[in-house]
Amino acid sequence: MHTLTRYGFSNVICGFFAFPTAHARRILPSDLEPIELHHDSAVFSMTVFDFTHSEIGAYREVVMAVIVAPLLKRGEPMPKAAFYPYLVATNTRAARDHAIQRWHLPHWKSDVDIQFHAQQGQLSALVTADDAPVAELAVTDHSWEPVAHRYQSFMRDDARLYQARVTMQGELCEHEEETGRLRLHRHPFNRSLSIEDIDERPFREQWMRDGLQTFEPLETLREA
Amino acid sequence: MDSGMDGLQADRIAKSPFDEYDYSNFYHSAGDDPLNILGPFDEWYRDAYPKGYYLYQEPLVTAPTTRITLKNGKTGRLQELINLASYNYLGISYRPEVKQAAIAAIEKYGLGASGSPILSGTFDIHRELEERIAAFKGKPAAVLFPTGYCANVGFISALMRAGDSIFLDQFAHASIVDGAILAKSNTIFFRHNNAGDLERKLGRAHGRKLVVVEGVYSMNGDLCDLPAIVAVARRHGARILIDEAHSTYVFGASGRGAVEHFGLEDEVDFHLGTFSKALGGQGGYVCGGRDLVTYACAFGRSRVFSCNLAPSAAAGALAALGIVEREPQLRAQLWANIAFMRRRCAEEGIDIGKSASQVMPVMVNNDRKIFAVAGKLQDRGVFLNPVTYPAVPKHKSRLRMSVTSAHTQDELETAVRTIGAVLREEGLCTR
Repeated sequence: MHTLTRYGFSNVICGFFAFPTAHARRILPSDLEPIELHHDSAVFSMTVFDFTHSEIGAYREVVMAVIVAPLLKRGEPMPKAAFYPYLVATNTRAARDHAIQRWHLPHWKSDVDIQFHAQQGQLSALVTADDAPVAELAVTDHSWEPVAHRYQSFMRDDARLYQARVTMQGELCEHEEETGRLRLHRHPFNRSLSIEDIDERPFREQWMRDGLQTFEPLETLREA
Repeated sequence: MDSGMDGLQADRIAKSPFDEYDYSNFYHSAGDDPLNILGPFDEWYRDAYPKGYYLYQEPLVTAPTTRITLKNGKTGRLQELINLASYNYLGISYRPEVKQAAIAAIEKYGLGASGSPILSGTFDIHRELEERIAAFKGKPAAVLFPTGYCANVGFISALMRAGDSIFLDQFAHASIVDGAILAKSNTIFFRHNNAGDLERKLGRAHGRKLVVVEGVYSMNGDLCDLPAIVAVARRHGARILIDEAHSTYVFGASGRGAVEHFGLEDEVDFHLGTFSKALGGQGGYVCGGRDLVTYACAFGRSRVFSCNLAPSAAAGALAALGIVEREPQLRAQLWANIAFMRRRCAEEGIDIGKSASQVMPVMVNNDRKIFAVAGKLQDRGVFLNPVTYPAVPKHKSRLRMSVTSAHTQDELETAVRTIGAVLREEGLCTR
């Protein structure tokens, strides 16, 4: 049976940043190829979700990811993009256990605090772990349109490489005005990143609201 | 909230391929068969073509003068248009003496060079052109390349190696980026025209460093902040290459480009240019010291392994260069036309961004309407090329407008009124 898992959200904000391809390769499994914004510049993304309803209730989540080349199979719909989440954190244990068990997503092992702050034409999210700030991401408003975009997410554990097809439906605002901002703090959470190599202004910002994230069942791509 | 019910919500907001995807979605893909990307791209292109992509690669059936005849990509009908899309900034490519020089070269040498420049493909006329362009630029020597693209690719990859660092403006031309890729050096992009960002990035690099900038940036028409870039590069011991494709013969008292404009001719190490922009011909070159040219001749693979520039193109460029040197009034007329268009665009409420040159982006800033705007303009007699994502950032779509010295004020006035009217009709200009 084709079983879908759905997560309703009120807001999702995402910033995309260039960072050295060599750093991206250090994070990625050898099967995955980073896409490049420019030669030698891969793409790092930080996404913060405010989930309002799901099978494990309401929760908040931050996803640190590297954008990778999508896996194309003849006859299948083409995804808009593909990503490899290398670190996820949530503010509830239930959400963390659920995502680890079902999606094999690598998690920060304790709860984090995520506070959204709305201002005129801007939404920001402050992530705190172990009472210390981790990151603050702000994105800004632009034109909005209803979308239903297909993505691929790749995950791995000690034994396997997995793929999940994800659809993001809702109102999307996407632009490259370079008006958003990211502040990454020196914190163990960010140890995979070389903070000085990441510009504080995202080259692209996305903001989705009042939508639904839908996961198709996990597919195993490779056994160890 | 598991559900095994209906299909994905994506199917409920079904959009056409052109609305769903953009050009960039088809560049990166993985899987077991490289042909898997062809089908989706073909489906997308067949949808994109009638919706706007027909505006690309439409064949001209006349010379690229200020008025052209073009075969419409959608209808197949011939259209007579005011041409604001060709380079030809000084209106030279179709001058009788230029055409005669090219014809005479064909009579003398035939169609092509029939050989690599390092073997049998160098003719006396190539040597003459190298000497003339070096003299014009005030440099000891020059080396020709078949195109401007080849010049950047060949020169950068000849000079730099793995382990070196190349610093590129984020809006650097593809030929510069490709040169860096071929060099296998570390490639570091700095924010456009931002000497502070360049300084921050240079400060973390070691070894041999090359900073590459352009005199005029081809999508924005803005001028390089060369004084600040040179100061930073010098502080960090980096060499500087400037690509003056769009600024040579336009900027500077003698037309020697942005370096002359800023009085920095001796501060920049490598001077690259083309014959294809202001002169309306073909071919590229690098000027510098004799040792530099000798090295580029030996290791510039895009030159060594290409057939040399056609002798007719070299002869045409020589004649065109003669016109530039004899007729400084052409440059004066170009700047008068630039001033006229800047004023009239401002009066019509047309946003030309930060343009400081003959390259003026008509900012539409609407990725959905850009093709409708360009199509309407073409139907009303004005030829401008639409430029959209990923060539420029999302929501920064524009029409790339090239003003030349050959345009009459009537032609420019007609064009600017038509552009203003179409933008107003589309709700993109309120004045």
